[in-house]
Amino acid sequence: MAVCAAIVGKDNSPKFFCCVNPDEELNFQYKVLSSLDIIEEKLSPGIKPNTEMYLGILYSLENWKIYGYVTNTKIKFIIVVDSSNLTLRDNEIRSMFRKIHAEYADMVSNPFYIPGEPITSKTFTCSIKNIITGTV
Amino acid sequence: MIDWNDSSWIEKMIECASRVQSLRATLEGRDTRIIVVLIQNNLPIPEDPLAAERAIALCSSCELNSQSLYVLPHGQHLLGYTIRLESAFFEFCQNYYQSLIKNIKQHKEHLNKSSHQYLYVRHQFKMAFLSELRQDIQSAHKHYTLAYNNLLDIRIVDTNALEIRTIAGFINYKICKLMFVLNLPRDAISQFKSHIDKFKTRIGFQELVFEHYAWLSKQLEIFADIFDDAVKHELPALQTQHPGIYYEQAAQYAIARKNSCQDLCSKIIAYPSPDPLEGIDKMEFFAQRPWRPGKIAAEPPEPVVEANGIQALQFLENQINHSGIIISLYGLAIAQYKIYKCPRTRRHLILKMAEECYDSKDFGKALTLFTHMLSDYRQEKWWVIISNILEKAIKCAFLTANVQDYIHLAFEILGSLISISSEDKKRIYENLNRILKKQIPFGDPKLPHDILQNAIILWQPVFNVDASAFTLDMTNITSCIETKVRFAKPTFEMDQNVILELFVKSFCPFPLTFSDITVKINSPNINSEFSIQKSEDTSLVFHPNEVKKYNIEFESNPNDINKEVQVEWVNIQIGKPDYLVNLKFGTQITQSETIEKKYFHNYGKVHEFKNIKPLYNAVIVPRNSKIKIKFEHAPPILLEECYKINISITNEELNNIKDMKVEVHSENTNTNAQFSLSTSMKAEKLPLLLPTPSDLTVNATVTSSLYVKVTTLQSCNLNVKITYILDNGKPIISIKNELVTLPVCQPFEVSTAYFSILMQEIQKFYAGEEFGVMPIVKYNSPWPIQIENTSVDFMPPIRSVESKVQSHLAGCSFNTEEIGTELFLAISEKMSDQNMVIGDYTITWKRENGLTAVTKVTLHGHHCDWIPLNLKLIAPAHGYVRTPLIIEYHLINHSSHLVQLDGGMETSKAFMYSGYRQFSVSILPNSTKILQYNLYPLMAGSVTLPRIILSIPENSTDGPALRQDQLNQLIDRNIPQEIFIMPQSNTELPEMIRNQLEVVS
Repeated sequence: MAVCAAIVGKDNSPKFFCCVNPDEELNFQYKVLSSLDIIEEKLSPGIKPNTEMYLGILYSLENWKIYGYVTNTKIKFIIVVDSSNLTLRDNEIRSMFRKIHAEYADMVSNPFYIPGEPITSKTFTCSIKNIITGTV
Repeated sequence: MIDWNDSSWIEKMIECASRVQSLRATLEGRDTRIIVVLIQNNLPIPEDPLAAERAIALCSSCELNSQSLYVLPHGQHLLGYTIRLESAFFEFCQNYYQSLIKNIKQHKEHLNKSSHQYLYVRHQFKMAFLSELRQDIQSAHKHYTLAYNNLLDIRIVDTNALEIRTIAGFINYKICKLMFVLNLPRDAISQFKSHIDKFKTRIGFQELVFEHYAWLSKQLEIFADIFDDAVKHELPALQTQHPGIYYEQAAQYAIARKNSCQDLCSKIIAYPSPDPLEGIDKMEFFAQRPWRPGKIAAEPPEPVVEANGIQALQFLENQINHSGIIISLYGLAIAQYKIYKCPRTRRHLILKMAEECYDSKDFGKALTLFTHMLSDYRQEKWWVIISNILEKAIKCAFLTANVQDYIHLAFEILGSLISISSEDKKRIYENLNRILKKQIPFGDPKLPHDILQNAIILWQPVFNVDASAFTLDMTNITSCIETKVRFAKPTFEMDQNVILELFVKSFCPFPLTFSDITVKINSPNINSEFSIQKSEDTSLVFHPNEVKKYNIEFESNPNDINKEVQVEWVNIQIGKPDYLVNLKFGTQITQSETIEKKYFHNYGKVHEFKNIKPLYNAVIVPRNSKIKIKFEHAPPILLEECYKINISITNEELNNIKDMKVEVHSENTNTNAQFSLSTSMKAEKLPLLLPTPSDLTVNATVTSSLYVKVTTLQSCNLNVKITYILDNGKPIISIKNELVTLPVCQPFEVSTAYFSILMQEIQKFYAGEEFGVMPIVKYNSPWPIQIENTSVDFMPPIRSVESKVQSHLAGCSFNTEEIGTELFLAISEKMSDQNMVIGDYTITWKRENGLTAVTKVTLHGHHCDWIPLNLKLIAPAHGYVRTPLIIEYHLINHSSHLVQLDGGMETSKAFMYSGYRQFSVSILPNSTKILQYNLYPLMAGSVTLPRIILSIPENSTDGPALRQDQLNQLIDRNIPQEIFIMPQSNTELPEMIRNQLEVVS
């Protein structure tokens, strides 16, 4: 399934980052940050507003594909998928995003979490990891 | 220039023929055609026999057929002639290339796939190229595609890999280029992608893998170039599909090439001899190996020669400046990403470029690039990336012995958000301390030895100065020291000290010692720096996560009243006096907090460092005055009244005051209110200076008064401003402002009613008929109002009919909601179609014990009709039973025509009467006819009079000057219906009553 998932706040600062392989985190951070360019362009006011939150594929690189999803409150979810994984369908990516969104909504409802701060909850990390590795 | 009629035609013809001859000799063996163009001065004449003859002669002497001779007249329309000549030439070319293609096609038929595989490619390429020259892009594209497909059919082995991919590269370049010309950018991109995919794995010799990467990199670069070219020719590119992507990949392959070169070629130190690459410039075919027998790739290689050849290539590869190539490719990619609005991707590429600079030991450039990129990443708070950049940047700073950047970066690295191993942080902290002690810092132990050596040499001269101090701007970086300043209050009164609170927190995991902390404060009249050290004894050692608070107090400058004081910066000094570093924390940029932070962050203690809200500005305001102002008046103001306000000022300060000035001004600028100091209401300009003594002792009171007159119903504001100086040695100006709002009220409302002389309300006047005017005055004022006088000034044509007019309301006093009325008799002399203005009703009034005011109201009446006849009954006020009384009907004709009427009197039970029972009258113009009746009342009480009936004679010759209904109305209006009849006068009756009264008493 996916190799990396990230949540980026509306100020474009990272709120959460999770990689299957922690050694690659820096590399993925650069990739995710670059894909924000595409998201920003897609959300720019000149383009007619898309009611769907799923943005589809942002970057198709040699080794990775990057998918994006934006909530109404401009929280961005980004998933990086291995390009060689051809069995992964668009629908599965969508459902992954929906699950992450649900998890995120639960997490924000936690009174001990301050909105806008990086997410440090262990349970949350664990459930996101499960979602992206497909063990849920 | 050979004109047909040239005098030396023969010589010129011979010369031309010899030139054609020599040209033909040099072109011997080539499939060429020779054409002669004569440039002539004269325009050709149609049907010119001389020209025809000479043309034939010229052709034969040049051995040309007649179609190969052209004439270009050099005169007017030169452009038109040249275009025609050009198209003729073009046709020749087209035919030539067409025939060449035909030739090649014939060759092709003799080929077979097994033995002439290479030729299949070659022929298609040739045909494609010729088609391109023919400007037949479609077929050129077709042939190139065939050539490419034929090439793919060839089996690729190690020995021919280079040749095949080189040719594939050429063909692919052509295909892609033509596709862009044909406006098929998507096809071009997919062709290119499949091209790369097909050849990505065809590496050839492992020893020469760098050749493969170089080829890949070049392919991508060239594709990016043609893509960019197409974009310049108005092909729209997208954010996700533009040349920059290919430049970036080209750079990545260039890096792969560099890495493989480092792996393979670093051991090669000698160029083999004999030179295996001899004759590489003179090869017949592209990308063949010069050392192979017959130079043909397909032959099996000889191992020793092959090894030598590879070694030579490796040696040459090692000489190439790979970093230069990579950096330039990144440069191209960065430029493209900038165009296509990918600022973050661009930044990432710049970082990669910086890393390449670092790899090529250009540490200075790398440091510049790194530090420039930091600010953008800081803004978006990607701390992992920032940590990574900082780590690299500080290495560069160390290697270039850049002290300022080193210290700057060190402070940032020591911050809590930077995730670097604690050993590294410790090392950097120690290095920082060493620098402050003017010692050379230690380098990263992971760096290679020779580079470290170089760096130490660079560091040596850095500390050979006596004293050094420099300033680092810390405003925008998230360093290990944070400062927050806030004024204790947003406003400070003039007589108070301004208090500034300064908080400093160290996030450094190790203790930091500062030498001084100063704050710069600006206002229009202050420009001072305040130092902490001098004012307080607290130590300036900061332990990890320690917060210290300092208070700074100063007196404000009296000239700064109503001005702002600002904190410009906080400066933290670190180091010894001979080596000082100033860390300047500016205050201009305040990052706006997100909404979430605003609502969710206020948990925990308010005094926690992160919850302190900075306040960089404060306003100096005048001191709060303790003077008391009291207004004595009776609101609301009545319209038109001269309203008196008493103002009493009491000094409740602890000191006497002097130089007191009392000013009155009105907030609403419209001129509906007049202010005056006297009852004369002499208009005075605002602000009005009240005549008050300038000094006032403690608890003394001064009183002044002022008059206001308002002419519209709009409430008016009165602002009293007292300016004075407190007499306590320190001359501080104090200001007291007091606002009073004065509502405005109408004292009364006037409406009018109109009556006929029978006291019936009328809606219409008749010219020449009297009517009553009744002004109805309704009082609204909350205070009682005394009426001094009222009067009506009638406006012609209306005039009063009373000889002496007297006000009935004069002297009365009215309370709220009470109504006063009076009646005036008037007559209109002329008719009017419009509602008439009756006149002005003037009321002279005052409040009880107030000042007299005059209000004028215009009375509006009804319109006025005219009829020729007027009617009047003259009768006594009352009659007595059985006592005759005489009544007279006056019929008044005030027209200039004769009025004829039929009339009659109805019988009545209450009266016997004598007079005309039935009559017919003619009333002369402007005269009065009197009808007299002698009535003999039979009953007492209010008795109905016998009714008079008037009608217009049926055979009247008069026009419609008078109608029957007007007559009836006239009677109703002017003739009373009843008269009061007393019982018969009995002289004894009063005596009887008198007697009775006497008995009772």
